[in-house]
Amino acid sequence: MSNAPAFALPRRARLLPLLVERHREHGFLDRGSVEHIARQLGMPVAEAWEAAASMTEFHFEPVRGERSCAGLACSLRPGWREPTLPAGCLFRCYEPPASGDERPFPLEMVRRSGPLLAPCDQTWAGLERARNLGPAVALEELERSGLRGRGGAFFPTAAKWRAALSRGRPLALVLNAEEGEPGVFKDRALLCLRPERVLEGLGIAMQVLQPAVTIAFINGAAEPAAAAFERALAASPIAGDVLVYRGAGGYVLGEETALLNAIEGRRAVPRPRPPLPVEAGLFGMPTVVNNVETMAAVSFIIREGAAAFRELGTAHAPGTRILSVSGRVSRPGVYEVPMGTLLSDVVVEAGGAGDSSTALLCGGPSGGFLPWDLAATPILPGRYHPTGAMLGAGGVVVLDWSSDIRRAALTMAAYNAEQSCGKCTPCREGAPLLLELLGSGRTAEVDELADVLQHASLCGLGQMAPGPVRSALEFWSGVFV
Amino acid sequence: MKVDGHETEAAGTLLDVILALGIDLPHLCKDDNLPPIGACRTCLVEADGRIVAACHTPAAAVQEVQTRSVRAIELRQAVLRLTARMHGREPDVSGGPRSGELWAAYAAHGLERPSYPSRPRSAVDLSSPFFEFHEEPCILCGRCVVACQQLQHIGAIGIAGTATSARVTAGAAVAFAESACTACGSCVAACPTHALRPKPLRATHRPGDARGEEG
Ligand code: SF4
Ligand code: SF4
Ligand code: FES
Repeated sequence: MSNAPAFALPRRARLLPLLVERHREHGFLDRGSVEHIARQLGMPVAEAWEAAASMTEFHFEPVRGERSCAGLACSLRPGWREPTLPAGCLFRCYEPPASGDERPFPLEMVRRSGPLLAPCDQTWAGLERARNLGPAVALEELERSGLRGRGGAFFPTAAKWRAALSRGRPLALVLNAEEGEPGVFKDRALLCLRPERVLEGLGIAMQVLQPAVTIAFINGAAEPAAAAFERALAASPIAGDVLVYRGAGGYVLGEETALLNAIEGRRAVPRPRPPLPVEAGLFGMPTVVNNVETMAAVSFIIREGAAAFRELGTAHAPGTRILSVSGRVSRPGVYEVPMGTLLSDVVVEAGGAGDSSTALLCGGPSGGFLPWDLAATPILPGRYHPTGAMLGAGGVVVLDWSSDIRRAALTMAAYNAEQSCGKCTPCREGAPLLLELLGSGRTAEVDELADVLQHASLCGLGQMAPGPVRSALEFWSGVFV
Repeated sequence: MKVDGHETEAAGTLLDVILALGIDLPHLCKDDNLPPIGACRTCLVEADGRIVAACHTPAAAVQEVQTRSVRAIELRQAVLRLTARMHGREPDVSGGPRSGELWAAYAAHGLERPSYPSRPRSAVDLSSPFFEFHEEPCILCGRCVVACQQLQHIGAIGIAGTATSARVTAGAAVAFAESACTACGSCVAACPTHALRPKPLRATHRPGDARGEEG
C-alpha cells in the first residue's frame, strides 16, 4: 500500500500488501513470516495462510534462476524449450521468447492507435468537465455513450455505477489492472504509455460515485506499468486518494469477487452470487470494479462527449477495442480498432498469413480457436463461434493450425487446470481430466465433461474452460486422435 | 412459485423452499446453520429453464423450479461422479458410517456407472486429542472451514493451495495440535464425510482413568 491515506478499512485489508512486501524482500514466504504478519493484523494464522497460498505467484521456498515464458506465442519460436522455471505468460508475447522481469511497453508496439492509445494532452480537461457537469449529468453522458465494460464481460458501465449508487453509501471503487490472461497486454500498454488517461477516467468515476475508498489493483509482475501509474498518480489531482494494491497472480482474479477477497485478505476464490459486487462487494460495501481500458474510455467520453464516442463502433457496441495480437504475425502488438471491424482485417494488417493454414485463438484460455474461413467476422462482444472463440479481453494469437493447434489446445487446457482456484468440484476435478482426455486422444468422452464444467462450475474460469478444447475438436479433431 | 409442480411461497433460497417441501436434493457443502459456500455444485436445479445452484439462488425472482428434470439430474450425476474421484469406500469407522449424505446422493443418482479415475490423497493428522483428520475421504466442501472461521470465530483451519493442491490446513500448515484449534468439535460436526472424525473414546484410554488395562 503506497503512501497510504487513512482509509478506514479493516486491518486485514493490509494482509496482501504486507505479504507482497515480505515476498519482495525475501524472495519467498515462510511460515514464520506469515504467522508474524497475521499476529500484527490480529487475524487468525490459518486465514492468512490460506490467503497467501491462494496466490499462485508466491513462493514458499527459495527459488533460483530466471523465469521463462511457457506461453503460446513464445513456445512457437524455433528452438524454444520447456523452461525450468516456467511462467504461464510473461505478457511480452510481442517480443518472443520472453524471459525475466517485465519491461516497459514499447511505443512501437502500438501498431494502430485510436482515442484511447493516442497521446494525452497533459491537462485534466475531462476531470474539470465532470466537476462542472456534476455527478448526475456526467453519469447521464456516460449512459448516452453506451460504454460497456472492457474487462471482457461487456456489462454497461453506467448501469453498473447506477446499481452501486442505488444501494447507498459508503461504496468502494476498484480499478482492475490485474490483467492476468495469457496473450493480453493492452492494459500494460495503457498504463505504461497513457497512465494520465486511465487516471482521468478513474478521477471522473470518483467524482460520480464519491467512493469511501478507491483501490487500483495492479498485476504483481507488471512493475513498469505500476511504476508509470504511480508516477502519474502522484502528479494528478487525485494524488493521495487512491490506494495502490499489487497482486500475486491467479487467473481467477479476473472474477471480481475473487479480486475483492484478495483485497480483503482472504483466500482469493470466487464468492457465490448473489450478492453481486455492486450490491455487497468489498467488506460488504456496494462496489464498482472497472477495467483499465474502461476507465480510459470514460475519460474520452467525458472530454469529447457521448456523441463523439458513438461515432466509432456500432450502435450496440460503440467505441473502440484494443486487441493484443501475437503469434505468427510480422507486426505483433496492440491494435486499437473500432468495434465492428473485421477480425480478419486486423490479422492481415498484423502480417498474419491469412489463408487456410491460419487458426486464431480468440479470448485465450476462456475463449477458443477459429479457422480462417470464419475469421471475417466483426469484432463485437460475445462469441465468434458457439464452441468458444470470443472477443473477451481482446487477445488474438495467430497460429498455423497444422503445426500448432495440438500444442495450443493442450497448453490452454493445462493452463485452466493449473489456474483453477480449487474451490468448486467440477472445475478442480474436471479441468485436469479434460486435459488428460485431450492429451490421450479419448475425445469421445470430452463432451460430457465439457458440459458439466460449463454448466456446473461456480465461476467463469471453469464455465469457459472447455472453449479451447471444444473448438479445437470441432475444427481439427483429426489432430487429436 | 412452483416447485416440481407444487405451488409454494417463495422465501429464502431455492434450497430452503425445496427442503421445506420435503423434496430430497443433495447439498453437500450447505450446512443448515451456515451461509452458502457454493463449492460442491451438487444442488443444481432447473429454475425457469436455467441451471442454478439452489443453495445460493434467492427464490424471490424464480417462477418455476424443476429438481428432477432430465437436464438437472444429468448434471448432478456428472458432478457427483467428479466428487467420487476424491475418495474411496466408506471405511469401518467407529460410530458407524459418517458419509450418509454423500452415499444417499450417489444412490439417488444411480451412480453405478464407472467413475472417473480416482485422485488419491493421503494426509493424516492424528494430533488433536479429540478428533482425527484423514484427507482421503475429504471432498473439499469447505464446511469445516466456515464452521471454524465464521461460526466459532476461531480460524484454526483454512483451505490452502489452489487447483488439486487445495487441502484443509491447520494454521500455517501445522498439525491441529499446534494450531489455534480449541477442539470445540464444530468442524467435526459440520463435516459431511468421515474426513474429520471423533477419536475413538475407548474406556482404557480415557484421560484420568486410573483403572486402565496396564493398571
Ligand atoms: S470454476 Fe474453477 S476457478 Fe471458478 S470457483 Fe470453481 S474451481 Fe475456482
Ligand atoms: S474435512 Fe469434511 S467438512 Fe472439511 S472440506 Fe473436507 S469433507 Fe468438507
Ligand atoms: S450445496 Fe449448493 S453448491 Fe454445495
